[in-house]
Amino acid sequence: MVRNNILKIENLHVSYGPVRALRGISLEVYEGEIVVLIGANGAGKTSLVESILGITPAESGRIIFMGEDITQKKTEHIVASGICLIPEGRGILPLMSVMENLQLGAHHYKGDISEDLNIIYKSFPVLKERTKQMAGTLSGGEQQILSIARGLMSRPKLMMMDEPSLGLAPVLVKELFEIIVNLNKAGYTILLSEQNARKALQCGHRGYVFETGNIVLSGKSGDLEKDIRVQHAYIGSAL
Amino acid sequence: MEVFTAQLINAIALGSIYALLVIGFNLLLVVGGIFPFAYSHIVVLSMYMCWIVLRITGDNLILGILAGILSGTALSLITEPIFRPLAKRGAVLSSFIVAMAISMIITDIMSKRIHGGVVISFPLTLQGKEALITFGIATITAGHIATIAGSIIAGIGFFYLLYRTRQGRAFRAMGQSPFAARLLGIPIVKTSIFAYMIAGFLGGISSILLAMSLGSASAVLGDNLALKVMAVALFAGLGNIGGGLVAAMVLGLAEGMALAYLPGEWYQAISFGMIMVIIMIKPKGLFGAMA
Ligand SMILES: Nc1ncnc2c1ncn2[C@@H]1O[C@H](COP(=O)(O)OP(=O)(O)OP(=O)(O)O)[C@@H](O)[C@H]1O
Ligand SMILES: [Mg+2]
Repeated sequence: MVRNNILKIENLHVSYGPVRALRGISLEVYEGEIVVLIGANGAGKTSLVESILGITPAESGRIIFMGEDITQKKTEHIVASGICLIPEGRGILPLMSVMENLQLGAHHYKGDISEDLNIIYKSFPVLKERTKQMAGTLSGGEQQILSIARGLMSRPKLMMMDEPSLGLAPVLVKELFEIIVNLNKAGYTILLSEQNARKALQCGHRGYVFETGNIVLSGKSGDLEKDIRVQHAYIGSAL
Repeated sequence: MEVFTAQLINAIALGSIYALLVIGFNLLLVVGGIFPFAYSHIVVLSMYMCWIVLRITGDNLILGILAGILSGTALSLITEPIFRPLAKRGAVLSSFIVAMAISMIITDIMSKRIHGGVVISFPLTLQGKEALITFGIATITAGHIATIAGSIIAGIGFFYLLYRTRQGRAFRAMGQSPFAARLLGIPIVKTSIFAYMIAGFLGGISSILLAMSLGSASAVLGDNLALKVMAVALFAGLGNIGGGLVAAMVLGLAEGMALAYLPGEWYQAISFGMIMVIIMIKPKGLFGAMA
């Protein structure tokens, strides 16, 4: 089966003033994949996903999504064309209800979203129970689920998740990765940035290893996991 | 008792105009991401525009009212591109300084270019001074009723927009987290322009209500109102839109009562003194900042 290319990044450079956060990144994501980005603090994972979404401008290079060059597009157009970001720290709106947070996920869509909401509530009953509750009063795990569910409300063709396991207790991390795998089985293509390299590589198909704005290694998850350099630098004794 | 009732009615009318002004101010603060010091000056300049059109048209009230509302909306929209780069950088303090510059230009225009800087007076037909209800010396005039009803309708309309519509949801999201709003695909620039438009529209309505209740305006009114609006917003907690409403009514009442029962010009000292104390004991304001 030949899989369609969903995202293709060519020689992407991103800087914040003098700080060169991405120094020529090239990568690809195919339909139905979970692609994992791993790397230490400051390696450039967040910079990459934010520049894909048009939040941080690209200095040079190209970002192509479903055959369309989106490098210079505005975030609202990129979201509407089918990319969502579940950001580092979740980015929920604490003073708005769970329902309103979900509605905001579909902000670009002007039609009726009640069916989308029903599907979300069926998949995540905990959100249905708390639909009127202020999102800021949810537990950390519930907030992460809300953030993912809100991303789903945008009807994404590519979901990007930036360190979703950050700050979650081990049992919740396990649950989170189950959710990610299930979403993938349901057909979602996922770009997952994680410091929790072992877990991420176990659920992903392929991976890229970041180091100070460069990709230093890439390949099938299983191979990466076995790679001694990865083990040494990013997985440590955990493996 | 009659003095009290008379003052109470005035105070409620004034408080409800302050409330509208504070709503517009907070909207620009929260959604626009700036410190809109010049907002009240734009409102007073709109009073002048209303006055000019009344003069030209021989006191055609409908055209005068339209002129006030339209210039409030237009003047607010004109300032949006000036503030946009500052809002983008999150430079709230710089926006305060730019707003002060705008306010000085507006005050200059009003004090030097319009009517030779002399106080302008609105025709009695606009003020609606005829008493509709009388108890002793206390009267409720058509102007009072129009002012209070106008503020309530504008206020309800605004809250409906803010809490019941898609656009209002985008406003609140931008206020709570500009970053999250952006990544959710809310068009930041468009939403912000819409906020300036709504704030300007409310400002335009306030300009007419002010013309009705004050009956006159002068160039210093801009600074005077700007200080009050800023103080009320701080008093309630910056950006707290619901709290701002309550605080505006409190200021109106405090001023009205001080005016009735204290000699001379003490009413300003009383109301600002009250605000100072609140800010000292509750730095985030009475109801806490919305953020
Ligand atoms: N707004 C900013 N201004 C200046 N430098 C920044 C900014 N954001 C990120 N950087 C720098 O860019 C580099 C890449 O940061 P980035 O956040 O992309 O890393 P990351 O891989 O996501 O790290 P982490 O795992 O800690 O989240 C770092 O050196 C960081 O200090
Ligand atoms: Mg990061």
